[in-house]
Amino acid sequence: MGEGKCYVYLDGRSIGFVEHGRRFAEEIRRNRRLGVISGEVNVAYRKRLNEVRINADRGRARKPYIIVENGAGKFTDDLREKLKNKEIDFNYLLRRGVVEYLDAEEEENAVVALKPDGITRATTHLEIDPAILFGLTFNVSVYPEHNSVGRHAISANFIKQSQGLYSINFNSRYDARAFLLYYPQTPIADSVAYRKLNLGKHPSGQNMVVAVSTYYGYNMKDALVINKSAIDRGLGRSAFFRTYSDEERRYPGGQQDHFRVPAATTEGYLGEHAYSKLSEDGIIEQETPVTEGDVLVGKVSPPRFLEEQTSFGVVEERNRDNSVTLRAGEEGVIDNVMLTETTGATKLVKARVRSVKVPEVGDKFASRHGQKGVVALIVNQEDMPFTKDGIIPDLLLNPHSLPGRMTFGHMIETIASKAGALAGTHYDGTAFSENGKERVDMYGSVLEKYGYDKFGDESLYDGRTGKQFNAKIFTGIVYFNRLWHMVSLKLQVRSRGPVQILTHQPTEGKPRRGGLKFGEMERDALVGHGASLLLKDRMLEQSDKADIWICKQCGDVGYFDFVKNVPVCASDGGNDLEKVEISYAFKLLLDEVKSMHILPRIKLKSE
Amino acid sequence: MEEKGSLKVSPGEAVGVVAAQSIGEPGTQMILRSFHAAGISSLITTKGLPRIIEIVDARKRPKFPMMHVVLEDSVAKKYESVRAIWRKIEEVKVSSVLRSFSEDLRSQTMTLELDREKLASYEITAHQVASKLEKREATEVSQDDNIIRVKIKSKDMKSARTAFVHIRNASIIGVAGITKALVQQDEAGVFFITTAGSNIADVMMIDGVDKWHIYSNDIFEVMRVYGIEAARTLIAHELYETMSDEGFTVSFRHPSLVADTMTYTGSIKSIGRHGVAGEKESVFARAAYEETVKHFTNAGVFGEKDMLKGVAENILIGKQIGVGTGMVRLAIKKDELKKVKAKE
Repeated sequence: MGEGKCYVYLDGRSIGFVEHGRRFAEEIRRNRRLGVISGEVNVAYRKRLNEVRINADRGRARKPYIIVENGAGKFTDDLREKLKNKEIDFNYLLRRGVVEYLDAEEEENAVVALKPDGITRATTHLEIDPAILFGLTFNVSVYPEHNSVGRHAISANFIKQSQGLYSINFNSRYDARAFLLYYPQTPIADSVAYRKLNLGKHPSGQNMVVAVSTYYGYNMKDALVINKSAIDRGLGRSAFFRTYSDEERRYPGGQQDHFRVPAATTEGYLGEHAYSKLSEDGIIEQETPVTEGDVLVGKVSPPRFLEEQTSFGVVEERNRDNSVTLRAGEEGVIDNVMLTETTGATKLVKARVRSVKVPEVGDKFASRHGQKGVVALIVNQEDMPFTKDGIIPDLLLNPHSLPGRMTFGHMIETIASKAGALAGTHYDGTAFSENGKERVDMYGSVLEKYGYDKFGDESLYDGRTGKQFNAKIFTGIVYFNRLWHMVSLKLQVRSRGPVQILTHQPTEGKPRRGGLKFGEMERDALVGHGASLLLKDRMLEQSDKADIWICKQCGDVGYFDFVKNVPVCASDGGNDLEKVEISYAFKLLLDEVKSMHILPRIKLKSE
Repeated sequence: MEEKGSLKVSPGEAVGVVAAQSIGEPGTQMILRSFHAAGISSLITTKGLPRIIEIVDARKRPKFPMMHVVLEDSVAKKYESVRAIWRKIEEVKVSSVLRSFSEDLRSQTMTLELDREKLASYEITAHQVASKLEKREATEVSQDDNIIRVKIKSKDMKSARTAFVHIRNASIIGVAGITKALVQQDEAGVFFITTAGSNIADVMMIDGVDKWHIYSNDIFEVMRVYGIEAARTLIAHELYETMSDEGFTVSFRHPSLVADTMTYTGSIKSIGRHGVAGEKESVFARAAYEETVKHFTNAGVFGEKDMLKGVAENILIGKQIGVGTGMVRLAIKKDELKKVKAKE
């Protein structure tokens, strides 16, 4: 059936045959452009399979193109003028068959010219703007066509981590975690997409004076040296908000939580000092400075299990303390407290803590070209390199970060922003811009006009010695983002701390004040070095050392009876036991082996 | 202990762990699958990590067995005589000189038409093929130029059918198992032969082959022919060479130690569950590695004892381990100490 004919598929289902597939597809296209068929229908002719695929289902990614007919785009200068004057709109162009949307499948049939002068006889469509080759995310960046693609992906990741003015109503929001840059700036070099998305209304970075230079070995690759005076003036300074929330939960049996300052008899009472900052209602007041361990919301919960009846009658139930405390290692000021109700008609408290995060050693910054760096040294202004005009860079970027990553966009931005700062204007860095070739020369001439080197190089003087550097140093302005990876939120140390109940080993992770894992490979390293005492220190002394009583007669594990002041063997009831120092995990293993109906007996030998 | 200064390794050095790390760490950087270009003059061998796993797992037969045959000095520089030896090595089967064949199960005869060109390229005659087949039991062979008729004298059709297959796979000349052999020449102009497939015992018997310098990468075959010491040397050498080929320099003593551990019992044992690691004395050490429950239940059933002597057990219970600084003990006897004090 249908041999030699062309199969036709609608949304992936075979619906019949036609004689000439290509002509059939063309006809559908013609009718679509005339408006007879919906503009949401796409059709593709597959030459190799000799089949036509018509797609009208949802969920296809589609992109608009200008239709080319008779060697010219249908979007004429006349239409362009009308569009500018707002006589017509984009939908008009769609209706008139000037612009159409293609899906991934139909694109395979199209021959698309990037620019009008690239139109040949075979061309079927024309890109609206060559910059559309990059997506929205890449187009927000500047001079993206000069960078390697990998850097764009990295850059996109950095941009979403950047701090800035993330929302205008930040003051009435209770985000779990939020950062707010003190003095956000719009970039001197921006792009069409940046402006159209109104990103300048909520910027996320600052224009920093950057010199590509080393500094006494402190800025190795991907390390930054920052000007301390610039930080003091507010460079990179931001506020960090964290919201703590809690509600009065109801439990089956009519009991519920209560917000209040817990009584000293409450189970798990944290001590009088911890609750000292709470007001009468058990909730902290605004603008109270708080530190680690302070209670923000005092809450008591009913006991987890119902109290058993004793011979004295019903014992008064001891409530549990279930207060919200400030996270380990954090401090700040209570920014705002909100009291409201949940949909379940229970009381809900949200307390927002604010703290100022001044850039410090270990904080992360990145430009819009995937060039990231960690602050390695903060240098006083007088020790930083300076130019003949007395300009002192905010940031020193290591030269190694440029050649290997090939981010030419970063360098072009450097001189463009420098020229823009001198001329007092913004410059456009949209991808594949029409005057792309002349752009860099233009920045050079602007720089020359203001008495600077057209390549952005400047003679710098060492702030420490006052001597001029032998080489000229590439200096300019780059838009840098401060990223939310900050040491103050990550730094953690432990010498003593909580242990796990099951294994008696130290806990894991920052919120639990945990230790760092000494894993199997680390263990092997110590064995390989023959460092037996260090290994014992790691695996036993600093971990789960336990004194266990072992019965000399039967070899089973016993316990110490503090009432009678004698050790007792659990198996034979004898008192002839020896105290042995072993790891608690081993005792746990013995217990588990016992649960398998295997009795391990330990025979002791005196040394 | 007195000889400390003259020893290559200090007493108490954790040589096993160091060897494991020294081989294991470069192993993480090795390519998982190395592709070999299909060439005429090169033979395929397993390389890189797969080969190391092959050796360490003590596989009965390498995926690509290979031999390196050195020839006696008297013939090694004469191409013609080397070629004669080569012809004796590479195995030629009936199927590789066949042009066509037909089987008749009713009369139990098989007609083989030999390809003249192929015969010529292997420098054998149809007569040679016929006489080789004649040596088979219960077969009658008649030859007419390049047509050979073979009649099977068997009772049933089934055995005739299997016999037909065997005839096609029958070897005419060469050593069994050597699928391909290549004559190669080194810089000094000395010829040698490399082979795909390994059969040391038979190749050894060929005149002109240097019996003392046959190299094979088949560890188990080397053990059968030359003994366990040779196998041990081969394991160490193969491990070392595999790593050097990939550009990793490893001190020879590490692969050497691995080879020692694998062979010290007199047979080749793999590293891992079914070999060295699974035969550890300590219950805890075995349970810590793999199949924990199995080892504990067996220990329970058979009442095994763990003397807590090894490293893994002592880390588990939290005792000082018996390597490095942990192996030295104070050796003064209490009575001796009293004597010293008395003197003072």
